[in-house]
Amino acid sequence: MADTVQEFVFNLTFPFTRTLGSTLSTFSSALAQGQIIGVRTGGRVIAPPLEYDPDTAADSGTDWVRVGPKGTVSTWTWVPEPTNLHPLDHAFGFAFITLDGADTPMLHLVDTGSESAMAAGMRVEAKLKAPADRVGRIDDIIAFVPAADPSPSEGAGEPFVAPEENDITEMDAYCDLQYVDNASPTTIMWAKALMEGRIIGQKCPQCDRTIVGPRGMCSVCAIELDESHIVEVPGRGVVSNFTIVTPTPYPGQTETEPFARCSILLDGADAVIAQQEILDVPVSEIRVGIHVEVVWAPENERSAADIDNRSRGSGGDIIVGWRTTGEPDEPAARYLDRMM
Amino acid sequence: MAPTENDIAIVGFAQLPPERRTNLTESDLVLRSTREVIAQVGIDKSEIGFTVSGSCDYLSGQGFSFVQNTDAYGMVPAINESHVEMDGAFAMYEAYVRLLQGDIDIAMAVGVGKNSNSDPSTLFTVEFDPYYLTPLGTDTWTLAALQARALIDSGKATERDFAEVVARNRANAKSNPFAQVKGDYSVDELLAADYVRNPLRRHDLPPTTDQAAAVILARGKRAYDLCERPAWITGIDHRIEAHLPTVRKDITTSVSTRLAAEAAGVGKGPIDVAEIHAPFSFQELILRESLGLDASTEVNPSGGALAAHSVMTVGLIRVGEAANQIIKNGKNRTLAHTTSGPCLQQNLVCVMEGDQ
Amino acid sequence: MSHQPVAIVGIGQTHHKRKRADVSMAGLVREAAQRALEDANMDWGDIDTVVLGKAPDFFEGVMKPEMYLADALGAVNKPMFRVHTAGSVGGSTGIVGSHLVSSGRHKRVLSVAFEKQSEGNAQFALGGGKGASIGAGGAFAPFIRSYIQRSGAPEDIGWMVAVKDRLNGAKNPYAHLKLADITIDKVKESPMMWDPLRFLESCPSSDGACAVIFTDEDGGKAASKPPAWVLATAMKSEPGWYSGRDPVNPQAAHACAQEIYKAVGITNPREQIDCAELYVPFSWYEPMWLEAHEIAAPGEGWKMTQSGATALDGDFPVNMSGGVLSSNPIGASGLLRFAEAALQVRGLAEDHQVGGANLAIAQAYGANAQFFAMWAVGSSLNPLG
Ligand SMILES: [Zn+2]
Repeated sequence: MADTVQEFVFNLTFPFTRTLGSTLSTFSSALAQGQIIGVRTGGRVIAPPLEYDPDTAADSGTDWVRVGPKGTVSTWTWVPEPTNLHPLDHAFGFAFITLDGADTPMLHLVDTGSESAMAAGMRVEAKLKAPADRVGRIDDIIAFVPAADPSPSEGAGEPFVAPEENDITEMDAYCDLQYVDNASPTTIMWAKALMEGRIIGQKCPQCDRTIVGPRGMCSVCAIELDESHIVEVPGRGVVSNFTIVTPTPYPGQTETEPFARCSILLDGADAVIAQQEILDVPVSEIRVGIHVEVVWAPENERSAADIDNRSRGSGGDIIVGWRTTGEPDEPAARYLDRMM
Repeated sequence: MAPTENDIAIVGFAQLPPERRTNLTESDLVLRSTREVIAQVGIDKSEIGFTVSGSCDYLSGQGFSFVQNTDAYGMVPAINESHVEMDGAFAMYEAYVRLLQGDIDIAMAVGVGKNSNSDPSTLFTVEFDPYYLTPLGTDTWTLAALQARALIDSGKATERDFAEVVARNRANAKSNPFAQVKGDYSVDELLAADYVRNPLRRHDLPPTTDQAAAVILARGKRAYDLCERPAWITGIDHRIEAHLPTVRKDITTSVSTRLAAEAAGVGKGPIDVAEIHAPFSFQELILRESLGLDASTEVNPSGGALAAHSVMTVGLIRVGEAANQIIKNGKNRTLAHTTSGPCLQQNLVCVMEGDQ
Repeated sequence: MSHQPVAIVGIGQTHHKRKRADVSMAGLVREAAQRALEDANMDWGDIDTVVLGKAPDFFEGVMKPEMYLADALGAVNKPMFRVHTAGSVGGSTGIVGSHLVSSGRHKRVLSVAFEKQSEGNAQFALGGGKGASIGAGGAFAPFIRSYIQRSGAPEDIGWMVAVKDRLNGAKNPYAHLKLADITIDKVKESPMMWDPLRFLESCPSSDGACAVIFTDEDGGKAASKPPAWVLATAMKSEPGWYSGRDPVNPQAAHACAQEIYKAVGITNPREQIDCAELYVPFSWYEPMWLEAHEIAAPGEGWKMTQSGATALDGDFPVNMSGGVLSSNPIGASGLLRFAEAALQVRGLAEDHQVGGANLAIAQAYGANAQFFAMWAVGSSLNPLG
C-alpha cells in the first residue's frame, strides 16, 4: 500500500542520571584522578569495587586498595564491527583483565589493532582519557593497550585513602536504542481508512460493542476482529469527558502550554474516540456536552507516517482535530460517564 | 498415578509459528496463542482460575506493553491475573505456585516476545550492570564469547564441539514444524564462517524470533478432564548467580543450574528427553553437564533455542515441548530448562512425568 | 496441605525523597531490605528466596534490573523472581512473596519493591518515551470528574484528603512529603495540574524502596516482635478499555474486595476492618475506592472523608502512613501500602498507629484503573474471633 507506512523507526533516547552512592562515588572520584581502586571484602580484592560482597551480600566496607594500571588478560573476545554503543569506532577486543593488586577481573576493552595480537596471559595497561575529559565513569579508561613494560604496576595492592568527600556523586547514562516496528494489518486498515477520510470501528459479533481505533480484538470477548468486522462511524459526536494537562518539561516533551484531550461519544455509534483535540475552543472553555465534528487535513496534506501500532486511535496528521458544530450543548450529566 | 490435590500438570500447550518478523502486535500474538491452547484443552475461558504472562517492555520498545496484551484475555468479568518481566517459563512457575494455594484448579501461562523490533547487538547493553558494563556498550554476544573462550581454555570443549551442537540442533529442527532455523549443515562448513565475536560465529548465536506460546496447567484430578496423559510437574526450581561474570568463581560451569536441577530432583531417575534453553551453542555443553544429564537423554529434539529464540517465549516453549513428549509422544520423564541474564546467570529447571 | 499460614515478621523501607542522591539503585533496595532483616532479626543468609517488583524499566533505564540486583539482595544461589503489574506491582510483589510461603515452597521470603524515579522521568516513561504524555493525572482526571458529578460530592473533598494524608505523612519518619503546615487553602490555591486535580492533590515523584519478610506459622510464632498474619490475598484485572466500561467503579475493584471479605469472613467492612491503606495517588481516589471496595455505599464514600471518619482518629482511618500522596516511588508504592497495613496490626506504626488495630486491608491499583491487588492482615489468624 503506497499511502500507509509499513515500518516505523522509533528512537528510545533519554539522558538518565545515576546517583552513585558511597562506594561507586569513591571509585569514580579516584578514577577521575587517574587512580583505579578496588575494595577488599570477603578476603579478596574486587575491582572495580561493589558495595556488597557478591557472595554474602554483606556490606563491602571501605578497605580500598590501589589496583592497576597494569593487568593480565584472562579471557578475551574480538568485536570486528563495533555498534554505535561501543566506545571505540574501530575493531577492538573485550577482555577479563585482572588488574595488579586485584583478585577478580574487570571487563574492559583492549585496543590492540588486530585480533591476532589478543592472547590470554597478555599484559595490558589502562589508557585513560585526558584529565580534563574524565567524568569518573568506567569509560574514562578508553581501553587497555599492550603494556610497554610487563613488570608489576607500582603501588598496586597498597591501601587507598579516600578523601573525606568524593567530588563525583553522579554519572550520566544516555540511553540510545533504536526500534523498528512494522504496521500490523489492523493499523494499516485504520490508517488507510483515515487517508480516505473515513473513521472506522470494528463491531464485535459476540457482544455487539464497537471499538474505534486499531485494536483488532474485542477485549471483552477475547476474539479477533478483522476487515469483516469494520463499521464506519460518523465523524461527529459530543464531548463526553476531557483532561487538561499542564505539561511538565522532560527531554522529548513537545508541549509547553496547557493542552486538552477529549473523549468524544460518536453520534449513533455507541463508541468513544479518546484523546482528541478540539481546535476552536480555548482550553479554559472545554466542557462536556459540546457537539463537534472531525476536521480532516486536505487530501494532499494527509500523512499516515505517525500512525503506528502504539497510536491506538490517533488520527496522526490526517485528523487535524475536531471543531464545534454550533449546535446547543447537550446536558453534561448524560455524557459524563462515557469516558470509554 | 492417583494425583493428590498438590499435584500439578501441564495439560495443554500451543505455540505460534516462529517468525523472523511478524506483522502482528504482541497483543495479537497473545490472543492467537491463548485461544489456541484454550480450544485445545476444550474449556471455556471462564474456567481458567489464574492467568499470568511473561514479556518485556525493552524488547518491544514500549512501556507497559503487557497492559495492552491483557486485552487478549477477555477479562469481563474480572479475572485473577498477573505478569512477570521474565520468560513465560517463570510465568508458568507463578501459575504453579498459584495453583498450590488450593483454591483454583486451572491456570494459564503465556510468553510473548516481539524480538524483531529491537537489535540484539545493542538492546541487551541496558540489561547489564548500569555502572560498569552498560557505559562500555557491553553486549550479550561479547559476554557469551568470553564465556565460550573460557570454556575452550579450560579444555572442556572446542570450536568443533560448538559447531556439532549447531549441526545437531538444526538437523533436529527439520522435524519440528515450529522451527525457524533448520537444515543439514556439515561441521566443516559451519567452521568456515567468520567470527562475530571470537570464538563465536553467527550460527553459534541465537536467531531473532517473534513468537508467543501458552500452556494450561491443571491441579489434581481435574488434569484428567483436560488431557489423557498429563505431564505432571514432579520438580521445579530456579536459581540465580552473581550478576557480573567477573566475580563468579568459574563461568565454565553453571552453579545455579546444578542447584536448580538438584532441587527439582533431576537425578532421581532417568530423563528421556531434555529441552534445554541454550541461547548460544556452547552453553548447551555447560548445561548438559550442570544438569547432570548423561548420553541416555535425548537433548533438544525440537532443535532447541538455536532453532527459534523469542526472548520471553523460548523458555515456555521448552516447557511445552518437554510436556508434549509426555502428553503426545509416550515419554515418561522429561526436563525443561530456561536461562536468563549474562553468561547463564539465572536458570529454571522443570521435571515432568507421565503416568506409567 | 496447601495454603499454610503466612506471617510477616520483617518490614523495612527507605527514607523516600524526590532524589536519593546518596545511594545507587543497589544502595536504595539494600537500605529497605536491611531494615526488614533487622526488624525480623535475620541476616541475608536466613532468606530462602527474593521477589523483586517495580514498574516499567523505562523509569530507570535498566532492563530487568533484578539481574543486576541479584547479589545486592543476597539472592545468589537462590531463586529470584521479578513481578511487574503496573501501579499495582508493589501489592503483587507482596502477594507473590506470601504465596511462596503459603504454598509451602519456602520458609523465609524477602519481597522488595522499588523505584528510583529521579534517574529518569516518569512522564517520559508513562508516555512510552514520546512527547505530549498526559501522565497518570491526565489519564485519571476524567474518571474523577465523572465521580464528582455522579456522587454530588462538594469540591472540597479532594482538598480534605490532600490535607489529611499529608498530616499523616508528617507523622511518618520515612515519608517523602512532610507538610505539617498544609491547609485546605493551600491545596485550593495550588496550581491546577490536570483539571480538576490541583498540584497539592497529586502524588509526588519519589525515590524509594520497601521490603517485607514472610515466614511460616512456626517462624511467626517464634518471632521476637509481634508478627502480622496474612489473612487473604487477591489480584483482579479487567480490560483497560471497552465501549461502555465504567472506570470510576471498576468491576475488578469490587471483585477484589469481595474475594478478600469472603475469605476473611468480613460481612461489614466499615465496622469490622480497623484501618485501610488504599492506593490514592490523586486525592479523589479515597472516596472512589471506599465505594468501589464496598466500604461505603455508592455515592457515600465522600461522606466518610467529610465526616473525618478516614482521619487517623476517625472510625475508619485511611492511609495512616500518609499514603501515595506523601511518598510515591511508583514500583514500591503498592508494597508500602501493604507494609503499613501490616505495621498497624503489629502495633509498630508509632506516631501513625491506629489504637487497637487488629484487622487491616491494603490495596494497590494499576494501569487504566484496571489491575487490583489487595490483602487483609491481622494481629492474629482469626482477628474477628
Ligand atoms: Zn465482544
